[in-house]
Amino acid sequence: MSIIQQLSNATLNDNWRTINIDLLDPESSSNFDRSTLHPALAPVSEGEIKSLGGQVRQLLRGGDAEGALRGALEGAPYGGDDAVKELHLQTVTEVLQSIKASEMTPMLQRIHQSEGGNEALDVLMKYLYKGMASSTRSSRASALSPQATGFSQFGGRPAAANESSGAAMSVFLSWHEKVVEVAGMGCIGRTMTDWRKV
Amino acid sequence: MASPEVHHLFYHPIADHSFSADRETLAVARDTSVELYGRSGSGFKIKDELKGHDKTVTSVDIAPNSGRIVTCSQDRNALVWEPSPTGYKPTLVLLRINRAATFVRWSPSETKFAVGSGARVIAVCYFEEENDWWVSKHIKKPIRSTITTVAWHPNSVLLAAGSTDAHARVFSSFIKGVDARPDPGVWGERLPFNTVCGEYLNNSAGWVHAVSFSPSGDALAFAAHDSSITVVYPSGPDQPPKAVVSVSTPLLPFMSLIWNGEAEIIAAGYDCEAFKFQGSEGGWQLTGSVGSPGKAHQNTISTIRIYEGSAEAVQKFSSSGVDGRVVIWDA
Repeated sequence: MSIIQQLSNATLNDNWRTINIDLLDPESSSNFDRSTLHPALAPVSEGEIKSLGGQVRQLLRGGDAEGALRGALEGAPYGGDDAVKELHLQTVTEVLQSIKASEMTPMLQRIHQSEGGNEALDVLMKYLYKGMASSTRSSRASALSPQATGFSQFGGRPAAANESSGAAMSVFLSWHEKVVEVAGMGCIGRTMTDWRKV
Repeated sequence: MASPEVHHLFYHPIADHSFSADRETLAVARDTSVELYGRSGSGFKIKDELKGHDKTVTSVDIAPNSGRIVTCSQDRNALVWEPSPTGYKPTLVLLRINRAATFVRWSPSETKFAVGSGARVIAVCYFEEENDWWVSKHIKKPIRSTITTVAWHPNSVLLAAGSTDAHARVFSSFIKGVDARPDPGVWGERLPFNTVCGEYLNNSAGWVHAVSFSPSGDALAFAAHDSSITVVYPSGPDQPPKAVVSVSTPLLPFMSLIWNGEAEIIAAGYDCEAFKFQGSEGGWQLTGSVGSPGKAHQNTISTIRIYEGSAEAVQKFSSSGVDGRVVIWDA
């Protein structure tokens, strides 16, 4: 095979346009460590987050739902791994589910006006989005079952597991509405921009 | 309070606008050209069109004293338009960047201008007499992403820049032979080119959309995509700042901001309205919106600038936005 033929074969086979040239450029922005862009987060262990969860639940049992919510939000494990974050999401979800609809707005207003309240509601909004994302994920996973045809299809009526995630979803949605009323749209923006993920 | 003066120029986004010092000429960046409007009665009439860029013009600035216009574009070029009896004459400035130019501003001395870019550099451009052309020098380190905005310190040496890496930075753009050696101040003592005098990040770290030095130059404000404004009070070279005050608002993000004295900031953006903040080192607060709640703008405000008065005391300011309108407000 001649050189020209080889080259033209290569051109035909490889789509040069799809080559990510940034990877070949040492100066390129895709070649630096993104973690250097912001200060490092303190790591959080599973034990720590479990004991925090225990304290929060104790406050909840003692009837101090507001204290429980604040405690859970202030202890958000930014530096934890996925398992730790999942554990804390469960804690926050429990607290949110235990608060009556009529108490939501006054409680949010009290938190918002207190020291560090703005930040606390930003964290709450992050949990609402995380909660909504994970409850849709779990309902998808159970509703989609591989069929004999090889295609995934939505099953009939979702199973019992979905009932609970649906209930959680409605709790998140009603909290979402109330948080936006108190903390405004800025709160949603910050959930998206913030590099400290819950 | 008089209602704002609304000029609906066309149905197309205005990337940037600039008034001449006598406020008779208004330059707006529209698509790939810059349109010049002249005052006629209570409105504005188009009088000239500056065509020279072949991609979207991202920014335009009229130097108040010389009347020169600088423009920059996604075509990676900057043009300096020299006024002459037969119209504006463009001069191409080689920026040596491989991504779009995003933002341009003349220094207060009008001997330099700074161009932000997607190539993670700021091109500081100055005129070299012996060669009879504009030269650009790059500020590179430690910029990690696109520069969205730049703003000059009153001394024409320090330059603030905001970036999509969520940092607002202060650099020295000192050019030997062009600039007078600046007096030592809170930002530093010796200031060779590309000295990083400050690097700031707020808690939630949104893209930085706007930066501005206070009228004295001793404080820096920036607005980010997390709907916040942050004010930094430096204490001296190589020392942590005296105070960094961040205000998270319930509003949508701000795209542009100006100072009105040392204790007030006016910011506008995605809420299609301008808002006032008041404060000092001890703390800043959102105090309310400017003007009547009537919608002068129908879409995002991209740029606000001082129209009448100065940064020490703004009498009127102008805004332009995605709705193709230029609005003049009482501050």
